Amino acid sequence: MIRNELQPAACRILSVKHESVHEWTFRVATDIKVSHGQFMQLSIPRVGEAPISVSMQGDGWLEFTLRPVGKVTNEIFEKKAGEYLFLRGPYGNGWPKHRIDGKHLVVITGGTGLAPVRSLLNHYYDHMDEIKDIHLISGFKNDESIVFTEDLAKWKEKFTTIYALDNDQKEGFRTGMVTAFVSEIPWKDFGEDYTVLVVGPPPMMKFTGLELLKNGVKEENIWMSFERKMSCAIGKCGHCRIDEVYVCLDGPVFMYTVAKDLVD
Amino acid sequence: MGYRLNKEQSNALFAKLSEKYDIYAPKRFPKQGRYSDTDVIKYDKVTSFDEVEYTEKSTYPMKEVLNPVHQTLFYFNDEDYHEAVKNLRPMLIIGRACDINAQKIQERIFLGNGFHEDAYYRRRHDMAKFVLMECNGGTDTCFCVSMNANKTDDYVFGLKFSENGLEIESKDAEFEPYFSEYEKEDFKVKFVEDNQLTVTPPVIPDKEVLNALKKHPMWKEYDARCISCGACTMACSTCTCFTTRDVVYTENADNGERRRVSASCQVAGFDQMAGQREMRPTAGDRMRYKVLHKFHAYDARFHEGPMCVGCGRCTDHCPQFIALSATVNKMSKAVEEIMKEQGKEC
Amino acid sequence: MNNDINVKALQRNCFRQSKVPGEFMLQMRVPGGVIPAKYLEVATHIAETWGDGNFHIGTRQTLDFPGIKYESIPAVNAYIQEYIEGVETELSGVDMNQIAHEPHEWDPKSGYPTIGARNVTACIGNVHCICGNINTQEMARKVEQLIFPSNYHIKVNVAGCPNDCIKANMCDFGIIGVAKIDFHPDRCIGCGACVRQCKAASTRVLMSGPNGLPIKDDCCCVGCGECVRVCPASAWTRNPKKFYRVILGGRTGRQTPRAGKMFLNWATEEVVLGVLKNWQKFSAWALDYKPVYLHGGHLIDRAGYHKFKEIILEGVELNPECQVAEQMFWAETEWRSNFNVKFPEDHLTAGPGSNNGGH
Repeated sequence: MIRNELQPAACRILSVKHESVHEWTFRVATDIKVSHGQFMQLSIPRVGEAPISVSMQGDGWLEFTLRPVGKVTNEIFEKKAGEYLFLRGPYGNGWPKHRIDGKHLVVITGGTGLAPVRSLLNHYYDHMDEIKDIHLISGFKNDESIVFTEDLAKWKEKFTTIYALDNDQKEGFRTGMVTAFVSEIPWKDFGEDYTVLVVGPPPMMKFTGLELLKNGVKEENIWMSFERKMSCAIGKCGHCRIDEVYVCLDGPVFMYTVAKDLVD
Repeated sequence: MGYRLNKEQSNALFAKLSEKYDIYAPKRFPKQGRYSDTDVIKYDKVTSFDEVEYTEKSTYPMKEVLNPVHQTLFYFNDEDYHEAVKNLRPMLIIGRACDINAQKIQERIFLGNGFHEDAYYRRRHDMAKFVLMECNGGTDTCFCVSMNANKTDDYVFGLKFSENGLEIESKDAEFEPYFSEYEKEDFKVKFVEDNQLTVTPPVIPDKEVLNALKKHPMWKEYDARCISCGACTMACSTCTCFTTRDVVYTENADNGERRRVSASCQVAGFDQMAGQREMRPTAGDRMRYKVLHKFHAYDARFHEGPMCVGCGRCTDHCPQFIALSATVNKMSKAVEEIMKEQGKEC
Repeated sequence: MNNDINVKALQRNCFRQSKVPGEFMLQMRVPGGVIPAKYLEVATHIAETWGDGNFHIGTRQTLDFPGIKYESIPAVNAYIQEYIEGVETELSGVDMNQIAHEPHEWDPKSGYPTIGARNVTACIGNVHCICGNINTQEMARKVEQLIFPSNYHIKVNVAGCPNDCIKANMCDFGIIGVAKIDFHPDRCIGCGACVRQCKAASTRVLMSGPNGLPIKDDCCCVGCGECVRVCPASAWTRNPKKFYRVILGGRTGRQTPRAGKMFLNWATEEVVLGVLKNWQKFSAWALDYKPVYLHGGHLIDRAGYHKFKEIILEGVELNPECQVAEQMFWAETEWRSNFNVKFPEDHLTAGPGSNNGGH
C-alpha cells in the first residue's frame, strides 16, 4: 500500500472562540504534533482545502485562528463545536527555534500575523529560561481587529510589549504602523545575540524588513513567515513556488537573505 | 536484434500486447481542433497499429496518461474521504525521445520534490513502461537537441512506424517473445541529431541579475500579445501544476469527489489567495514566471538542466503565435545586456 | 445612340442598363465570392477591351464591368464563355442546359441565360477564418447548382458562423454554419475562458458552475463555436457533423426592409439543399408559372408563411436535430404607419390567378 499524504483525517471541533468579529479560533481534537510556525491543510468536503497556520497547540488539540475570506474559511465559520474539520499535515519548516533559544527575541506582527507566532510566544512565556528576553511589537488595523486579547494582556507581564493600532485610539495601544516602533527596540544592547521574527501582510513585512535594516539589524537575524496559495502543500501543485523555492517545503519561514529576493 | 512487421502483423502485435497491457499512443480525433475542420491529436488507449498517429506531433503531450487533466483523489461524503484507487492494468506508453525525457521531469516533481511522493503518480508510474517511437525529424518548432532531450535509453522496445507497418528494436528481453515469430532484421531506432531551431537558454549567475531580468522591459511585450489562456501549459510536456477541486454530485450534494485538475500559471488567479490580490496580475508577469521557471528556477533547484524538452507544443498550440524559443533567445539577450550594465562577464 | 434596345432582355442576360444611353454593365457571377485568380486576367481583358477600364466589385460579390457599349455585347458574351464554363460548369457543377430544373439548351456564346437567381454570396468560411464553422465555398457552389440558371429570383448568402459577416440575416435565404458543441468534462480545467468569451462575444449561455466547470443553457446556444476557439484544453469541441441555420425573408429595399427570421435550426446539408431544391417549385406556384422578376421574399409574404412552408418542405426528410419555425413574425421597418392597409383589389397575392400589382 502506497502511503497517501493527501489523505485528510476527520477531527472534532472542541470549541470555537471569537477573538474578534472577523477572527475566530477553532480548537480541534487531534494528537498530531506540530512545530511552532508550521501549518496544516484544513478540508471541508464539498468545499475544498486551505493552508492554515497553527495558532496554538496543547495536549490532544490544535488551534487555528482564521478569517472568513474564501470558500473554505467561510464554510469553516459555519461549523460549531462537536462538528468536524478534516486535517492533514503539519507542513513547512516552522520557526527556527534553535536560532532563537538563548537569545533576545524580537517579534513583529501585523494583524492576524500574530497567529503563526502565538504558540511560540506562549511556549517561551512558560519557559522564559530558554530565552534572554522577548520584545513584541503587535500592530492591528483598529480596535475591532485586535485578536488574542487575553494573550496580549498576559504577555505584558513577561515581555516588553508595544501594541499599536494603525489609525485608532485605545487604552494600552499606541497609534501608528509597526514600522514606527522598530527603533524603540534596544538593538544596541543585543550585540549579535538576537533573532527577529516578522509576520503579517506582504506590504507590512516588506516595509518592516527595510526598517529593520535601517536600524542596523543583520539580514541573517531576520526571519519572515510567508503565505501563498497552495493546493497540495507537499511540493507538487506548483502554486506556492517562487523561483527555486517552494513555500510549502522550504518555508513558510525564510531568513531575510532569501525572503528579500522572493519576487513572485 | 530487430524485426520487421507488415501492417497486418503490426495490428496482430498490438492485439497480442493488449491482452496484457493498456497501450497508450497519440491518436487523431478528427475535426475536434480549435478551428473548424482541424484535428486534435492526443494520447489515448489504442488496441491496433492503425489507430496510432505517427506522422504528426500530438497537440497534447504524453503526460496526460500518467497525470490526467482530471484525476479523482478521494470520494467523500460528510464523514470521510475515501482514497480513489484505480485498478490499473500494466501500461505501455508510446512516445518519442522528447516525450519520454519529459516524463523524467514529471517524475522529479511528483516523486522527487519535497518529503512525500505523490501516491497517485507513483501508482501509475509503477505500472507504466515506455515504448520508443522513432521521430521523423520533428517540425520547425522543435528544439529537442538544444534541450539535450533528443535521446533516451528508458524504453522497453523501439518502434519505427510507416505505412507498411513496423520495424522493431527489441531491447527488454521480457518483450522478445512477442516479436520472435516475425521476420528478423537489423534495426535500431535512430535519434534526431539536429533541429532547424537552436535555443540557447541564458545562464543567470546571481540574484542581482535575476532580479534585474524580472524587471526587464522584454516582458512588457507579452502584456500586449499574450492572452493568458494557458494553452501553452496544457500543451507542455513538462508542466505539472494542478489545483485541487471538490466536485459535488448534483443528485446527491453530500457526496462527491476531490479531484486534481491541471492548472496553468498563465491563467489569472493561479497565484491568488482568498481575499487577496494577485501576485502576478499581468500577462507579462505570468509569462516571465513560466519562462524563468523552465529556464532558470527548475535548474536552480534540481541542477538537472531546463524544465523543457524542446517539443515545441507550446508554440504549436499558442493561438497568438508566441514562440517559446524566440522568448528564450530574447531572454538570453536581455541577460547579456544586464550583465554588461552590472559590469559582469558573460 | 438611336439604338432600339430591349433593356429587359439584356437585364436577363446580366447586362444592367446605364444612365448613359447605349451603355451597360455586365455582372459576372462569382458563386461563393471566390474564383481562381487567373480569372482576373479575363476581367482585365473585358474591362480594357469593351468596358471603361474599371471593374466594380458588386454588392453581391459579382465582378461588374460598367461602360460596355450595346454593340459590344455579342463579342463580350462570346468571350465570357470560357469564364461561365470554368466557374459555373467546372467549378460549381452547374448544368447550364436547364432553367429552373427544366431542360433548356444554352448557347455557350450567348452569355448568362438568366438573372433571376442572384449571385450566391459567402464569407471566406472555414477554409481560412478562425471563426468559421463550415466550408462556405463548397456550400455556395452546391446552392448554385440548385438555383441557377433560373428566372426566379432568390438571394442566398452563406455565412460561415453566426457572426454573419456576409449578412445572411438580410437576404431571402440565409445559410449560417452552426456547430453542435460537445463538452468533454474530463479535459476542462475550469479556467473560465469559455464563460467569459460567450458573455463577451456571443449569447451568454455559459456560466461557471459550482464545481468549477461551465454550465450551459443549450436552448440559447447559437452554435458559434467561440467556446471551442478559446478553450486551451479542447474541452469544448465542434461535433464533426456539420449543421446549418436558415434565416428566411431578410431584405433591404425601399419599401419594407427587414431582418430575416430563423426558419430552420440545426439542419444538415441534405436538408438545406433539399429545401432549396423546392424553391423553383414554390416560385413557380406563387407566380402562377410566370417567371416575373419579383423578389423571392415578397413571394413568401404573398403566399403566407404556412403555404411557403408546405411547398418548400415537400419531400424533405428532416434530420432528427432539425427544428422548423412554427410561425414567422417578421418585423419590417415601418416607414409609414398602416403601410399594409390597402383596398382589397390592391392586395398582392400568390398562386393561380395571382395579382402581381403590375411591378
